[in-house]
Amino acid sequence: MRSVRIALAAVLGASLLSAVSLSTAGAASSTQLATCKSTITSQEFKKGTLTVATDNPVYTPWFVDNKPSNGKGYESALVYEIAKVLGVSKSNVKWVSVPFDSSYTPGKKSFDFDINEISSTAERAKVVTFSQSYYDVDQSLVALKTNKIVTNHSPAELKTYQYGDQIGTTGLAYINKYIKPTKAARVYSTLDQAVAALQSGQIDAIAVDTPTGEYMAMAQIVDKNNKMLATQVGQFPSVGEHYGLLFEKNNPLAACINVAISTLRTNGTLSALTKKWLGIYTSVPALKP
Amino acid sequence: MSHDASANALETPTLFVPRRKQLFTGRRAIVASVFSSLLILGAIVAIFYVAPGGASVRYFFFNPQQMWESFTGNPAKGLSSVGAGIFTNIWMFCVCEVMVLLFGLLIAWVRMTTSAVLFPFRVLSTMYTDLFRGIPILLVIFMVGFGLPALGLGFISSQSPAVYGCISLTITYSAYVAEVFRAGINSVPNGQLLAARSLGLSSSATMKRVILPQAVRTVIPPLLNDFISMQKDTALVSTLGAIEATRAAQIYASTEFNFSGYVVASILFLLLTIPMTRFTDRLIAKDRVKRLAATR
Amino acid sequence: MSDVVLDLKSVTKRFDDNEVLRGVSLQLHRHEVVCLIGASGSGKSTLLRCANMLETIDGGDISLFGQSLSDPRIDPDLVRRNIGMVFQSYNLFPHLSVLENILLGPVFALKRKRSDVVDEAMTLLARIGLSERANEFPDRLSGGQQQRVAIVRSLAMQPALLLLDEVTSALDPTLIGEVLDLLRDLAHSGTTMLIATHEMGFAKDVANQVVYLDKGVLVEQGTPEQIFSNPQHEATRKFLERA
Repeated sequence: MRSVRIALAAVLGASLLSAVSLSTAGAASSTQLATCKSTITSQEFKKGTLTVATDNPVYTPWFVDNKPSNGKGYESALVYEIAKVLGVSKSNVKWVSVPFDSSYTPGKKSFDFDINEISSTAERAKVVTFSQSYYDVDQSLVALKTNKIVTNHSPAELKTYQYGDQIGTTGLAYINKYIKPTKAARVYSTLDQAVAALQSGQIDAIAVDTPTGEYMAMAQIVDKNNKMLATQVGQFPSVGEHYGLLFEKNNPLAACINVAISTLRTNGTLSALTKKWLGIYTSVPALKP
Repeated sequence: MSHDASANALETPTLFVPRRKQLFTGRRAIVASVFSSLLILGAIVAIFYVAPGGASVRYFFFNPQQMWESFTGNPAKGLSSVGAGIFTNIWMFCVCEVMVLLFGLLIAWVRMTTSAVLFPFRVLSTMYTDLFRGIPILLVIFMVGFGLPALGLGFISSQSPAVYGCISLTITYSAYVAEVFRAGINSVPNGQLLAARSLGLSSSATMKRVILPQAVRTVIPPLLNDFISMQKDTALVSTLGAIEATRAAQIYASTEFNFSGYVVASILFLLLTIPMTRFTDRLIAKDRVKRLAATR
Repeated sequence: MSDVVLDLKSVTKRFDDNEVLRGVSLQLHRHEVVCLIGASGSGKSTLLRCANMLETIDGGDISLFGQSLSDPRIDPDLVRRNIGMVFQSYNLFPHLSVLENILLGPVFALKRKRSDVVDEAMTLLARIGLSERANEFPDRLSGGQQQRVAIVRSLAMQPALLLLDEVTSALDPTLIGEVLDLLRDLAHSGTTMLIATHEMGFAKDVANQVVYLDKGVLVEQGTPEQIFSNPQHEATRKFLERA
């Protein structure tokens, strides 16, 4: 089994690398930021309030305790950092619960942007506007420790397992696009249901972004004594997937939010957030689809 | 004229429809109905073109290209086929309908027995119908679909989501159908039962030869209603991970951010239910013709 | 005594607090026709229903061919196969043709071969002049025709006893005659019958015994001459005056 150590430094390095590669969108000037601070109120859906949407339930480590407004978890913390950069006070950030399916329906949206580990893809960008990447994501497989997949996962063997995933996730797309299993992957409405199916042996493995997978294995799928029952089988190589904030198509506010994200990347805040909320994993073996 | 004018019939009464209502008679009525249908249809279509968001709604729901792609699926993009998914719905409700008929009839029969030996079963079946008509079907699907596998009972716990879905649908709909049967059986006049028993027919022969054949006529419309509703509820089985038509459409929607797949799924469901209603109507009509033909 | 078909001893029957039969005793012999007369609600129908176990009795005893119906070994289906019953409202099976109505009992209760019974059924239909209508459904027949089919349906079981529950009461007056003629015909050919009826003239004609019931009590019993010409009880006299 080949294993690649992903040290915290490597994560930091990757973030820096993506910051450089996205330098066209990045490198916000202080004048841009100043303009945004003065215009943001007029661009908001509800003037004077930054209305942020996310699904319910939301999952650790992106949010903590299913409470987006507590500032805990990568995405929650990020929203408050963006607000801070744009001069929006913490009390003027308002969270609304919007199911994933209604986040992209046509017509006026009742929020400024949606943050919910939404993968930014070209197809989706036809009907909505995405911010620049706020997290570059890799997929990994989570399975019960007792499952064969933990030891037998050559590319050929990977095709033979029964996968399952939450609908609309990058993980599901990854399974179908890259693993191409012989048995159709089962698709659940929520990640919790997919996890329930994993625990009852209905499915062999779930593909999720590495931080979520790590949380699942370490804290979610455990027995009464907090003994880990699942493990991360491994992480697939990057295919350039990244998460973006979802805006109504051509919402001008996106430009200023991009400025804010660039600022946070340049000043090291993104790296710090990654380290704080997503840096819980130390080593994940590499997998090939 | 030697008649007294004050008696009656001063004028010949007119028997024609008043002029202003003549639009609704004869051939004009057909023209009028075609005209009004087109008007209403046109108005509905016009909404999609006139409304400020009409163009984006049309693109979002009725884009032919997207509809076709969702129908056929696209493995390269990880898109399941709605057209293939519908077959999961079809086999599920075919199996479920047979199971529900048998199980529903059994429950109805047990509830209506009078034998002392069957008393506990009678109580159980009453509880059953009360319980499963009351619990939302989605919860039954969760309990069966996530509960049975978790039991770790070998064969019972290693079925596909569609099988657990079928079990759940059968459990819930049998409760409804049992009540439909019971109502149908109760609608047969008591004299029929008395006459059959007076001939010395056993209770099961009475049920089979006399009561059920008559109950069937009253039972078919509500039964069909339940079946159509069950056909649609096969979509709920998607929550267990089965990729049927609506779930395939949902995958399409969440990947492409376009709802055209849902419209495709709706059309496919309509294609299934409409023939079924027509078939039953024909069945009823044929039965009537048969009865009338015998009277010549 | 061996020719006693039906023997009622002090039969009582209650529906909740309402006592419908109060100690009725009655014997019916082979080839005998007994007519039950009395006002509506006097217990005539209940008595018939108790006789073929459609109702259970609360007291007394009923025997058929010397076998007590209270005996737990009695099979009600066997009892009913030996007793024919015809109802006021005919109760033909609307989903079956006239012929199928007649075949149902012999084929599915007596388990006889269908082809054997068809000839018998057609003979019975010929007897009531309805052979050509064998394949029609009951709702195409007049009330009198339906009731005659219902009687023939009972006869197809070759019952030892025929119970008739006000079989002409639901009929149009012009159709009563054809049904009564059939019953007279049956009486002359020796069919044992217990008939609840409002047709006094008919009772006078065919009955060997006439029984007057009043509020569940058997008030008076005797030959038609005794009952109709010389009733012993005041109640009987009053009832006959009104009827």
